[in-house]
Amino acid sequence: MTPVVDIRDLVVSYATDDGVTRAVDGVCLSIARGESVGIVGESGSGKSTLGMAIGRLLAPNATLEAGDIVFDGRSVGRCDAAELRALRRHSLGFVFQNPMSALDPTMRIGRQVALAIGGEPEAAAICALLERVGLDDAPSVARRFPHELSGGMAQRVVIGLAIARRPALLIADEPTASLDASIQGLILDLLLALCRDTGTSLVILSHDLRMVARRCRRVAVMYGGRVVEAGDSREVFAAPAHPYTRALIRAAAGNEGPGGRLEPIAGVPPVLRERASSCAFAPRCADAQARCFAARPAEVAAGGRVVACHFAAGAVIAPAPAAGGRA
Amino acid sequence: MSAPAPVIAMRGIAVAYRTGPAWRRTLVPAVDGVDLDVEAGETVGLVGESGSGKTTLGRVALGLIRPTRGSFLFEGAAFDPRVRRQGALAVVFQHPEWALNPRLRCVTSIGEPLRIQGQGDSAERARKVQALLAEVGLDPALAQRYPGELSGGQRQRMAIARALITRPRFIVFDEAVSALDVSVQSQILNLILGLQQQHRFAALFISHDLAATRYVAHRIAVMRSGRFVEVAPARKFYERPDHAYSQALYASIA
Repeated sequence: MTPVVDIRDLVVSYATDDGVTRAVDGVCLSIARGESVGIVGESGSGKSTLGMAIGRLLAPNATLEAGDIVFDGRSVGRCDAAELRALRRHSLGFVFQNPMSALDPTMRIGRQVALAIGGEPEAAAICALLERVGLDDAPSVARRFPHELSGGMAQRVVIGLAIARRPALLIADEPTASLDASIQGLILDLLLALCRDTGTSLVILSHDLRMVARRCRRVAVMYGGRVVEAGDSREVFAAPAHPYTRALIRAAAGNEGPGGRLEPIAGVPPVLRERASSCAFAPRCADAQARCFAARPAEVAAGGRVVACHFAAGAVIAPAPAAGGRA
Repeated sequence: MSAPAPVIAMRGIAVAYRTGPAWRRTLVPAVDGVDLDVEAGETVGLVGESGSGKTTLGRVALGLIRPTRGSFLFEGAAFDPRVRRQGALAVVFQHPEWALNPRLRCVTSIGEPLRIQGQGDSAERARKVQALLAEVGLDPALAQRYPGELSGGQRQRMAIARALITRPRFIVFDEAVSALDVSVQSQILNLILGLQQQHRFAALFISHDLAATRYVAHRIAVMRSGRFVEVAPARKFYERPDHAYSQALYASIA
């Protein structure tokens, strides 16, 4: 089956006052129909740029330098304005971090939902959509303005707007970062359930590997504008092959034992000016060798996992028997 | 006197907010009968969903609002709002932008509490600020920057430096790491642990994130609808807490 999106060796850069910054440095990733993928990385890893690039929603100072995004067989990079509008309107849904900035503060919720559905939907259709995203008392919600909603309710509305036209792909960029912890899980579960029901593919961009690994079938870890490790979520979380994935897991609160110490990743993510000629993680990597600073590691596929590390081969092969047993 | 009095001692604290128009005032209870002690050198974590009253309780502990009922002792004496307590209490918020004036260089912002207390001249304050920046893991040269020229993690370190400059005996961290990236979050959590060992301040760590809270806190109070449903050593939240609600929180991170 053809994937919904096939990202091929994508390079995106921004023109800034300090020169060119390369945010995405050769990403290959394809997303199958109905699949849920979590893209994980620190801020500055390029994950938001990648997400926005799929809908060509990048800032004006960004350029698609090389590679392409093929959406349902069409090249997003070569779409004209009308095709792009159609793509965004019919095939893509976006959910961002802050629901309040995604909603029009001057318009009642019902009207915004009507615009998202398109045409002149009946009140019953508007309420049905609001009920699908778990808002009880939909008629009352439809009459309200965004500022009259709580953050969680507003994010539910935004999710409703995003799925109104049953898109082929939904991109959620830190969808729960501005919400309360007690409802973060509920919102994610809602996103996944809706996508499962409608056959929509889901991409969740997040810095929280644990949260994503629990919910998405597949995970892609980004660093320095590249996917450094991708594979089945549980396997990646249980047996990370890339040193960066291991460092991310060790750094996150929740993975340590009682009295244990968290190990933050020393240093800061790189700001690339040009194509990385070495491993971008090498300066922060505890296991880095001379080769890591000399040559750019290629993405190597093994055992259903793709890893971009010179020394990952052994680590990837190791968990394969367990994976085979479960499959 | 044998053991020193706890820094914070609360008994039966209740807070109710008044809402509605003047002719139809209703009282909404935010905190409803809470007992809490925080000793010097101890961090108590306060977790719960939004609306459970944790921020209100933090504001009572800082003396920003008076409880409707109950007694509140600060270092063994009744908390009298007329007593000057400059520098004894501090707070670190979720967004460091709220603590740092965007138009002031960091050295001015961080030294400001000392200036208000009338301590030292500006050169001496600048020296103290630079020493403190090294302590919170920042390059002292960053003191000359504006907050907008720093990363999120650096800004939160600046906010912590500003909270620490007067050597407070009690600090409230209200969602202090919630807006940060995973790796930066663990840096700040380690910083809080290290600074507390050194300075022995009492702390209230308010968060909705049980994973971060059990890492920095010695004891954790789980709050729901204005009451504590469970108070237990942090260690307990690595295994299986008692109350059903605590278990639900635990399940979300396990």
